[in-house]
Amino acid sequence: MRYLFVAIIGLVFGAAAAGAIVYFNPLLDKSATMPAATDRVLRYSLPGQVLDFAVGEDAQLFGQDAGDDALWEDTIHRAAVLGLVLNDGSNQPVAVASRLLTTSPRSDLLLSGMLVSDDWLVTIPNEGTFYVHADSNVWPFLKEKLVPVWYLDRPWIGPAEYWPTVGPSADDTANVVGLTGAFRGSAGSAVEHYEVTSLDPARDAALANGELYLNLPGPRVAAQ
Amino acid sequence: MKIVFVLALLIGFAGTLAGAHYVPGLEHTRLPSQTAVVANGGRAEEFVIRLPIDRIAATNGESGGLRSLGASAMALPSQFAAEPLLVEHFKVRDSAGNVIGVAARHWDGTADSTATWSVLIPSRGALVMSANGEKRDALDTELRSRGYSAGRSWNGDARVSMTQDGGGVVNTGTGEFEGLIGIYTETWTVAAVDEDGRVSGTIELATVTSRL
Repeated sequence: MRYLFVAIIGLVFGAAAAGAIVYFNPLLDKSATMPAATDRVLRYSLPGQVLDFAVGEDAQLFGQDAGDDALWEDTIHRAAVLGLVLNDGSNQPVAVASRLLTTSPRSDLLLSGMLVSDDWLVTIPNEGTFYVHADSNVWPFLKEKLVPVWYLDRPWIGPAEYWPTVGPSADDTANVVGLTGAFRGSAGSAVEHYEVTSLDPARDAALANGELYLNLPGPRVAAQ
Repeated sequence: MKIVFVLALLIGFAGTLAGAHYVPGLEHTRLPSQTAVVANGGRAEEFVIRLPIDRIAATNGESGGLRSLGASAMALPSQFAAEPLLVEHFKVRDSAGNVIGVAARHWDGTADSTATWSVLIPSRGALVMSANGEKRDALDTELRSRGYSAGRSWNGDARVSMTQDGGGVVNTGTGEFEGLIGIYTETWTVAAVDEDGRVSGTIELATVTSRL
């Protein structure tokens, strides 16, 4: 009995030491850098510009009710579908985006963080449609804000800024592929930035502003 | 006793790090792919959407017609209400009828009418396709030509091809679909429309792909 007790204590101490290493591991805070130049910035605010949000039962970060549109099937219960209106630099709606998100099996809490695969389909009326494939590291947000504030009742201190894009390109940017209209045949990169302005579990409110910094080389995209 | 403690400490330490490295539980459930080899060595795969149950949401613009009804409405800002733009979100099934992913379809009727699909199958990756799409109100027009009128239920068998010029192309993909080229066709088959305009039927996305 005494040996069992000592073994349990040893396991707990060992796990706690490893947990501390994971928690303070600087490799997990990997994020994109602000792009030096960009062709266009598309902006959104949450929840104000959300058109639709369907979320899988195991992807409910905020513990929200998945509602009637729940993605409950085993194959998609860690996925989410988000419809967004995107604004231009003058804060006027210019585009509609569909984001298909799912947790990435390439997540690694020793080396790369908690990755989300984020596929955007963006249509700008009168210009065309393009696709963005991003790997986003949500670990810094989870560690610094969501878990402490939302689940551990720590006070909110903010706003908090994040550059979650970490790939799949080698320079930690997302891949962009032009599909139709003026974007057809073009390819480029993108980086997402968002600022969480409020997290209030008591009022069930999470507010954020996001930006997609888009680089599509060539004359096809007019600078804003 | 000291040895037991040190061994347990090491096991706890290594086990936690291994768990952090492999992050158990993030693997997606995968069903066998319903694919077939075609004559040229490519791979044929059909994705199916059953309406109305697989429709997640659709935008409520003027150009949506029946397709904007019977789903969670995505309320477009007033600037877009009159634009020829329709965004639809669906669950996607394999040809055996199992839900395997989610999809977004964007139809843009400005200039050349285009339709683009992003299909995400969490266990396999994303497939992105585009085509010269259907004309505005193509589904509504076909149904009206077969006797449907608004506010009344309708039963029948209407097939509408939503891809022009013989089909669309596979533009890009991720994961298992990375590096694929190919073509696809999109066909809507409507069996019924109820009094509220809710469409019952299927959307078939038939793809033929091969490696670059």
